[in-house]
Amino acid sequence: MSVLQFLVGVLLPPVTVAVLLLGLAIRVRTWYRAPIGKITLYPAAKNSSQLWAGVTQELFLFRSLWAGDSTLWAGAWIFHVSLALIFVGHLRVVTDFPRLWAAMGMGAEGVNAMSAWVGGAVGVVILGMGLFLLGRRFTSPAARDASKVEDYVTLLLLLGVIVTGDALRFLSHFDLEQTRTYFRGLLTLNLQSMPESPLFWLHFLLGQVLIMYIPAGKLLHLPGVFFTHPLLRWE
Amino acid sequence: MVNTEQQRQILNEVVGINKGPRALMVYMDICARCGTCAKVCHVAQVNPDRHTNPAVRADHLRALYKRYGTLSGRLLGTLVGADNHRLVDDILDQWARDFYECSGCRRCAQFCPMGIDNSIITRKGRAIVHKLGKTPKYIVKTQEISNQTGNDEGQSFAAFMEAVRFLQEEMKEETGQDIKIPVDKKGADILFVPASADLISFPDTQIGSSMFFHVAGLNWTMSSEAFDGANFGLFSGDDAHMKQKHKLIHDAMAKLGCKTLVIGECGHAYRIAKRMAPGFWGKLPYQVTNILELAAEFVRTGKVRLDPAKNPMRVTYHDPCNMSRSLGIVEEPREVLRACVQDFREMTPRGAENWCCGGGGGLAVMDGQEGVALLDGTFLDYRMKVGGEMKWQQIGATGARYVAAPCSNCKRQLSQLMQYHKSDIEIGGVMDLFAKALVW
Repeated sequence: MSVLQFLVGVLLPPVTVAVLLLGLAIRVRTWYRAPIGKITLYPAAKNSSQLWAGVTQELFLFRSLWAGDSTLWAGAWIFHVSLALIFVGHLRVVTDFPRLWAAMGMGAEGVNAMSAWVGGAVGVVILGMGLFLLGRRFTSPAARDASKVEDYVTLLLLLGVIVTGDALRFLSHFDLEQTRTYFRGLLTLNLQSMPESPLFWLHFLLGQVLIMYIPAGKLLHLPGVFFTHPLLRWE
Repeated sequence: MVNTEQQRQILNEVVGINKGPRALMVYMDICARCGTCAKVCHVAQVNPDRHTNPAVRADHLRALYKRYGTLSGRLLGTLVGADNHRLVDDILDQWARDFYECSGCRRCAQFCPMGIDNSIITRKGRAIVHKLGKTPKYIVKTQEISNQTGNDEGQSFAAFMEAVRFLQEEMKEETGQDIKIPVDKKGADILFVPASADLISFPDTQIGSSMFFHVAGLNWTMSSEAFDGANFGLFSGDDAHMKQKHKLIHDAMAKLGCKTLVIGECGHAYRIAKRMAPGFWGKLPYQVTNILELAAEFVRTGKVRLDPAKNPMRVTYHDPCNMSRSLGIVEEPREVLRACVQDFREMTPRGAENWCCGGGGGLAVMDGQEGVALLDGTFLDYRMKVGGEMKWQQIGATGARYVAAPCSNCKRQLSQLMQYHKSDIEIGGVMDLFAKALVW
């Protein structure tokens, strides 16, 4: 185990998890405890089921953005859906879902093929969307004027994670079994194998930086939208 | 120039956002600066400059809040959008200009994917500007006049009574009917409070409302102590003024024993009466409604004879921001108009997505350059060339000869806009047309 492997693979992960959970908890708690004023924006929901139907449309379909800027909507929506798919896909590096595969009538080979195709496609799509989001910060006057260092840093960090992730899939041999053993060991505090690929360590490092960045900057919109949209649309 | 003490005050106020309200606090944290707000803003669209971009304007507060009010900002600085780059010598002039170029119309909030309402940020910015004594002169003057006389027009009791007498005579002349404007009538069911501007600048709206109460057979009154719903505390961010001004109405309701408060064609007065008043005094012992909702209800019953042929010109309806976006009054005025005019034409877009007239948020009273030092030209220039441009185009596309705009701010802005473009399109209220369509 090299020093780098120790730092990124053993020492950093618990810090990452702590920063994410504590950071989010503190931020959300502060929001939650703040007094609220009535700021209804019409058309507003008349009851709570209407409210949550509307908020769900915002959160899953980005309804307001669709009305405001459909080009950005396309890029942003595909980007976020890809993120969600990638999040789900990454669960497989920690665990597996044999019962689900059995229920779907898929063997190990089928699962791996699906993972390769879907994961690979999403990896390419999200790279494209990430570049689009970065590009429009230079080409769209409205976005260019608004952009600050934070916006470029956030996007570059995301792109760094995406590019290394894609490289792991397309340019190197990725040993899922070994990686899974490593993560399981990390979770159970019983460290076994350590992946050797430098690309893996770069991807893992950038990924952890990104996770720690969530409660610090504008990525707080992840929990934030659960607060703002209901505040606006509640009659 | 801003001194150290003023800097300290600004930072205190900004850091104070971490005590709430919740919306403002979350808005400080989550903006992705995607620029959608700028694409749907009537100001940024016409004058796409960096300082008119709503996300950049919001950053006046956001960058400082992140820098001094959050741990991540203190540790990571610009990496998380925290900086004090704009804590410059003329910061207050910049704030006064930027937060008053925004009319707080909330159109951007309709489209923001993050659910951010920039009007809340603008009002906080204005509140800080106000605490530091930099509020534009016209706004300050209006508040002072209101403090002295109880109404924004500075009318005395005698002038108010004179206006009432004059309007009664006008109505008699026009219709041959004895239509009273009851004043300080104890035990009336309804207290009617318009914007005081209606009594002087837009008397036809007051006449229309009075005729409506008359034909509807409602037991109503006005109060000589509270005949102005307009309230610049909402615009300046001066909460104390807002409460003090509205208390005149609240007290008049108790004094006269009225059961229902009916606000006239004044969106922000209605917003304060309906949304803010319960925050001041808890659940109100009276109902609050609006002349347009009441009139629509009445028109629906068909009890009154209205002849649309009496208003043959093409009419369009401008949705004042407070009426449509903040109160949801979109269909009611249209119901009244369709019953009163022959040729009603919608603007595009309409309702909650309608463009601001450019005079909202108190801007309509601002004409000169004082208090907005960094502005090119006068504030009137700005309102005509930038703030009102989208509306001018939108009105033109309808081919209307009359624009109904139930808000004194909108009426003043739009009248000036027509004058500026040398257009003879008439600007007025909804109730004005109701009066003209009545069959006696």
